[in-house]
Amino acid sequence: MIKRVSFCITAILVSLFSGCNGIFSWIYDPAPQQTIFGFVETNPITHSGTIYIDATDYAKWTYINLAKMTIDTCDANMNVEPAEWDFAIHRYDVKTNNGAAMETDYTSINQIIESNLNLSGTFTPDTFSKVMVDVSDMMNGNIKYADSYINPILNRWLNVNTEQMPPIYTLSNKVYILQLANGQHAALHFTNYMSSTNVKGFITIRYVFPIFNS
Amino acid sequence: MRTTILLCLLMVLYVAVNAQRDVYGMVRNQEGEALYGAIVGLQENVSVAASTAIDGSFKLHIPDNKAYTIKIIYYGYKQLVYKLQEDQSGKLDFTLEEDIYNLEQVVVTGTRTPKLLKDVPIVTKVISREDIVLQDAADIRDVLQTELPGVEFTYSMNQQVALNMSGFGGSSVLFLVDGERLAGETLDNIDYSRLSMDNVDRVEVVKGAASSLYGSNAVGGVVNIITNEPKEPWTLNLNAHYGSHNEQRYSGTLGLNGFGFTNLLSARYASCDPIALKNDGDYSEIYGYRSININDRFTYSYRNRFKITGKVGYFFRERDSQETSHDRYRDFSGSLKGEFTISTQDDITVAYNFDQYDKSSFALLDHLDVRNYSNVQNSLRAVYNHTFGKKHILTVGGDYLRDYLMSYQFEGDSAHHQHTADAFAQFDWNPLKQLNIIGGLRYDYYSDANLHHISPKLSAMYKWKDFSFRASYAAGFRAPTLKEMYMSFDMANVFMIYGNPDLQPEKSHNFGLSAEWGTRHYNITVMGFYNRVANRITTAWNSALNGMKYVNMAPLQIAGVDVSASANWDFGLCAKLSYVYTYEHIALGEPLLSSTRPHTATARLSYGKRWKNYQFNIALTGRWLSKVTCDEYTSLTDYTETEKVTYPGYTIWKLMLTQKIYKGLNLNCSIDNLFNYIPDYYYGNSPATTGTTFLVGVALDIERFFKK
Repeated sequence: MIKRVSFCITAILVSLFSGCNGIFSWIYDPAPQQTIFGFVETNPITHSGTIYIDATDYAKWTYINLAKMTIDTCDANMNVEPAEWDFAIHRYDVKTNNGAAMETDYTSINQIIESNLNLSGTFTPDTFSKVMVDVSDMMNGNIKYADSYINPILNRWLNVNTEQMPPIYTLSNKVYILQLANGQHAALHFTNYMSSTNVKGFITIRYVFPIFNS
Repeated sequence: MRTTILLCLLMVLYVAVNAQRDVYGMVRNQEGEALYGAIVGLQENVSVAASTAIDGSFKLHIPDNKAYTIKIIYYGYKQLVYKLQEDQSGKLDFTLEEDIYNLEQVVVTGTRTPKLLKDVPIVTKVISREDIVLQDAADIRDVLQTELPGVEFTYSMNQQVALNMSGFGGSSVLFLVDGERLAGETLDNIDYSRLSMDNVDRVEVVKGAASSLYGSNAVGGVVNIITNEPKEPWTLNLNAHYGSHNEQRYSGTLGLNGFGFTNLLSARYASCDPIALKNDGDYSEIYGYRSININDRFTYSYRNRFKITGKVGYFFRERDSQETSHDRYRDFSGSLKGEFTISTQDDITVAYNFDQYDKSSFALLDHLDVRNYSNVQNSLRAVYNHTFGKKHILTVGGDYLRDYLMSYQFEGDSAHHQHTADAFAQFDWNPLKQLNIIGGLRYDYYSDANLHHISPKLSAMYKWKDFSFRASYAAGFRAPTLKEMYMSFDMANVFMIYGNPDLQPEKSHNFGLSAEWGTRHYNITVMGFYNRVANRITTAWNSALNGMKYVNMAPLQIAGVDVSASANWDFGLCAKLSYVYTYEHIALGEPLLSSTRPHTATARLSYGKRWKNYQFNIALTGRWLSKVTCDEYTSLTDYTETEKVTYPGYTIWKLMLTQKIYKGLNLNCSIDNLFNYIPDYYYGNSPATTGTTFLVGVALDIERFFKK
């Protein structure tokens, strides 16, 4: 009897000390420390890859150069931009460098790689608009905007329904064809708007460039 | 001389041997079925007791020839008392009558000791196993909303479930399972979907403060879920449900009982597709989900002297909240409890409980499951009861709790922990047969807030004929949580929410007065309640911080009347009607932000009949909630202007048919939202319904197929 009681007390104490801060932590994945942004994956054979962008800051545009595989950021309040770029991201807004865009029915980059694309659709150029650049005083009803061009077709990649809290984010899952100013084409598939830890504003883009031997 | 002494000794021995006697026999129910596990014992000498064997037989060995009172106790049946005469021995058979009116219902929540429901001076509402089966309830939300007026589960932000119970929210109502707290919360509410009703014996609800027994959070009430214990040698129940929106529930329970051991293993899987709503609203779709719940409960008892209970549990739920990621919720729990009967006057309970509630985000693209929240509670508890003069009970006890919280809402996903300790005493005094008075006092200490708090209570009940009158005062309190003290959360890059280590605890004074009239067939209870709640914790905009901060709010008063009436007739018809009026008042000039509906009612009409191989019960249940008008700030940052907002009332009815078809085959069908109510606009406190839904269920009690 004494042995049984001792066993129970020991089991309780062992449980107490081992389980103070929890058990089974090994069933979870470690939070990815992904601080590398830009062209995080590339495949020279298929001319495809993955771009990962930190677009959490409302005050910044992130500019992407597909040919040189570089990214650069500029202040959205200032009328400045890099010398060479193809398209740019600001939160969920997208603009092109004097280019145009078309939406396809494809839903993955692999479909683009494996198919013969038909470019019979219409390409839509950017239009003049405004983007939010400062929301820090939003709760007082003050949001600062800046003038900018955006591409209305590429902006369809994510629908943010703010009529309810929290907003509902819906990916279009469509592949978009970006026509650059020099006539070359790229296929863009926006696959995520969040980081692996669920922070919104981190954007993952799968791409093919160039396509059509353009 | 030697011969004389020897003769005297032999005479004493002869008398002693002759004084011993045996009483033996059978315990059956009214249908003649043997009752296994019924307790047969002497009221005056608890060491003489036995439990019936599988064939219902028992044998008592009584050491003398005195007159005694034999008590026969079996759950679900009325307690039987038999006066054993001097020198009486031999065969005695007993027939127990089913307790369909719960007259012998034992409850524990109001006093923390087992007590007959009719003798408890604190009004306790009991939702029995039969009520739960009749509703075919999925979890505690179904049960409480259907049975209790004044209870409303709504959606807060991001479709997280929030409770309102007569003006008190989820953080002010303490939920317990077999008396143990639950870890984890989301927006001040525990995960109610953890509390499935598969192996629940009953749910006890005490409205009003109960911090003198349970400490923090017991400000507005206590909901205690009491789980089942196997009573037959073996049971195997298999259950399947299928309903609208591809709702599916599958569960199985295996119970074993023998040689002092019992084990109850249960497993459950539930899922539902996303539900697209029919009209505009604060949300357009109800997220789909999948959940798994596995529990095992083990007991060993030895001659009613001591009993060891061990429990382990695992819970998992996945919610399709985002297109690219799902919310996951897990719980790991375990406990060990020892109950020792030291003597007829003394017993002691010692328990250790572990509960860990985790939240994680599962990224569908990367297949990464990253934990962002973990609440771990380790608690130790000891309760000692001493009975004076067979009727007055002194209860003393204490708890220790280590509370650990890691959260994405803390800076850098960091963690905090704190220690809490308490000591309490309660005296259950019965000066007259008709009068019962209970007084209690509890001291609580919270390390991080350096909080010391005393919670008193005083309750009295007086019985006169078929009437019971109850009056009570109880203090309630809620200590600031680790989240409320240390939060530092960036809300979507828009504003911050800050914790406040200087928060004061919520404090309440609760007064209750009730009158109950009850007979075998009818019961009417009228209860009035008044609560004064100070320092309620909430968030408010802080201009200096340019963000939200946890603060204490102005005193709030909540008063009301709770009326319930029920009738049970022997031919199988039952009717129940309950109504609650709740009135809230806050200091002049302060906004009344809660959206407590002033009038709510529930109703149930059921009829059942039993034949040898067939049994059915049909039940119509309904709940009515009035419209509510409350204040809302016109702006989150402007605390000078509010506007009146009115939310519409609604009525929902449900029709249930349960059938027992041949031995262990059960078939259930239900039509929910019978009159096809669809909100014009889906507010957070609108019922999340798209109209009439259907659910069918099949249950197999396998052991019954093997019974003759």
